[in-house]
Amino acid sequence: MGTALNLSIHQRLLLAASLVLSAFLGLTGFALDKAFRSATEEALQARLFSNVYALLAAAEEDQTGQLKMPEVMTDPRFNRPDSGLYAQVSGRQGNYRWQSPSSLGRRLGFLRQMQPGESKIERFNLHGSSAMVLSFGVVWEDFQGRELEYVLAVAEDLKPLREQVAAFRDSLFLWLGGAALLLLLVQGWVLRWGLQPLREVAQALTEIESGRADQLQGDYPKELNGLTSNINSLISHAQARQQRYRDSLGDLAHSLKTPLAVLQAVAEEESDNPRTSQETLREQVERMNQIVSHQLQRAAASGSSVLTQSLAVKPVVERIAGSLDKVYREQKINWVLDVAEETLFRGDEGDLMELLGNLMENACKYGDGHVHVQAQTGRDLYLRVEDNGKGIPRDQFETVLQRGHRADQQLPGQGIGLSVAADIVAAYGGRIEIGVAEQLGGVAVHLHLPGG
Amino acid sequence: MRVLLVEDEADIREPLAQKLRKQGYTVDSAEDGAAGLFLGREYGIDVGIIDIGLPKLSGIELIRELRTLDKDFPILILTARGNWQDKVEGLEAGADDYLVKPFHVEELLARLNALLRRSGGWSQPVLSGGPVELDTRTQTVTLHGDPVDLTAYEYKVLEYMMLHAGKVISKTDLTEHIYDQDWDRDSNTIEVFVRRLRKKLDPDERYKPIETLRGRGYRFALER
Repeated sequence: MGTALNLSIHQRLLLAASLVLSAFLGLTGFALDKAFRSATEEALQARLFSNVYALLAAAEEDQTGQLKMPEVMTDPRFNRPDSGLYAQVSGRQGNYRWQSPSSLGRRLGFLRQMQPGESKIERFNLHGSSAMVLSFGVVWEDFQGRELEYVLAVAEDLKPLREQVAAFRDSLFLWLGGAALLLLLVQGWVLRWGLQPLREVAQALTEIESGRADQLQGDYPKELNGLTSNINSLISHAQARQQRYRDSLGDLAHSLKTPLAVLQAVAEEESDNPRTSQETLREQVERMNQIVSHQLQRAAASGSSVLTQSLAVKPVVERIAGSLDKVYREQKINWVLDVAEETLFRGDEGDLMELLGNLMENACKYGDGHVHVQAQTGRDLYLRVEDNGKGIPRDQFETVLQRGHRADQQLPGQGIGLSVAADIVAAYGGRIEIGVAEQLGGVAVHLHLPGG
Repeated sequence: MRVLLVEDEADIREPLAQKLRKQGYTVDSAEDGAAGLFLGREYGIDVGIIDIGLPKLSGIELIRELRTLDKDFPILILTARGNWQDKVEGLEAGADDYLVKPFHVEELLARLNALLRRSGGWSQPVLSGGPVELDTRTQTVTLHGDPVDLTAYEYKVLEYMMLHAGKVISKTDLTEHIYDQDWDRDSNTIEVFVRRLRKKLDPDERYKPIETLRGRGYRFALER
């Protein structure tokens, strides 16, 4: 649909249905009308034939063998003047002419010359009104055995027939029109009823926009369920992210207070030892830096969303390995990248890079030249990064993941990378575990991310 | 060693340049990508420090330009955002290492040192040739384990020669990589440094650590 005709769904359906309905009813009316007209015409023709036979049956012959029609016909319409039914008989031999009494005072003349056995039906203009005429040629064998040829013709005025057809048409269009109107009304109501859920969704969205509701409530037809549940999860995703931003901001402000207080103390102190002041400054700046970068990472992790695209894990792993190869050129990292082409991650590319970058760099930094990255897709996406370093003591598995959360007590080292990874995994509703690498003997980090 | 420093923030660039000069580096600094490209193209740079967010020509673009010009000196990128997308992009563009801002100058110096050694094909911070050992971290030289007293310029000349041990180094190379651009480039002073180095490293003229190739330059000739 072009921009010129921007109709609502309701209008479109109504317009289309009305067009179809009127076309259907129009064609029906036309077909019924045509059928009725030809039926009445056929009936008329049959009647004309039976009239001719009746004339023949009523005919007698006089002494000369000439045809003689009765004074009074059995069909009263032949007797009553201007009845609309007229008959005419003429003989080919001699000058026999006969007209039915109904033609009193009229000049007929619709009779045609016909061969015996021949018949013809035609229209004829009888004194200004149209009539249907049947001319019928017969051979009459008189009592002397002579064969005399006659033509019998019967004409019936079409005016009554026309009136009948017109009456039929009137009532036909009245009924069809009435039915059309009724159907349109019903259809309008059906459309309103059918589109009601859409209007309700729009209304509910307005409610959310104005802040009166925070989810799409209520039962919707199953065609809309996908849409409404997607909208709901988008909304909750946005809310969760907003909450995370708010939390991070709060944490950030809060955790910066301590180093700021220390700095203020240093600034106000009448220092007799500039070296210790400088040392304190340095420590606090380092601490603030770690706090800021940790909170930034945490807030930036976008987390999974219903509508995020899936992206291939393999190229990301390869790019990071290629980059780390440069940085750790001297260690000559021996990579084993066990990632299938079709392994997919549902989420943001930046998050995946952050996740793998931190874990793979840790493996390069704390391992001893051997790094094994594995990815598998089952119901979830499973990622594993292993190295051949000294590993992490068993009793510190948990604390090393937790360390990042105590931002103001953060220590440099493996913990930062791991806690960033843990934050991202949490944002996706996944799981992170630390263990011992079975083959390489160093650290093994296992990640389970939903919906791989 | 000549360092190209491209950083738009003067409060970072100036103190850093000063620190580097104090460490014996010759520093060419620029405040935007275009000026950085000019310096990188015109001078014999040994190592580059390039910030990613630069005006006129971004750090990434600058690195790409330098690499297409066949400038293969190692490059360290500085990034404020510190996310992996930036790091990977920079390393893929042709950088060799990265450092996230804010950083400790000590760490930067250690990385520069490592990059320079790597570009000369050394994997250890201590460069050795015959009885001569040069520690790039402490900037000290020993002969048979005994310390040798060198002036700053003598050390610079020896370090450059040992880093490129086995390769012919012209006097122009030496002046370019050791002097600031506005200094007097008198090749005689190089000859003086070399003569003094020979005297200090090989007083008995037994090892002949520095060869003179007539008309071409010098070569550090002792085996690694």
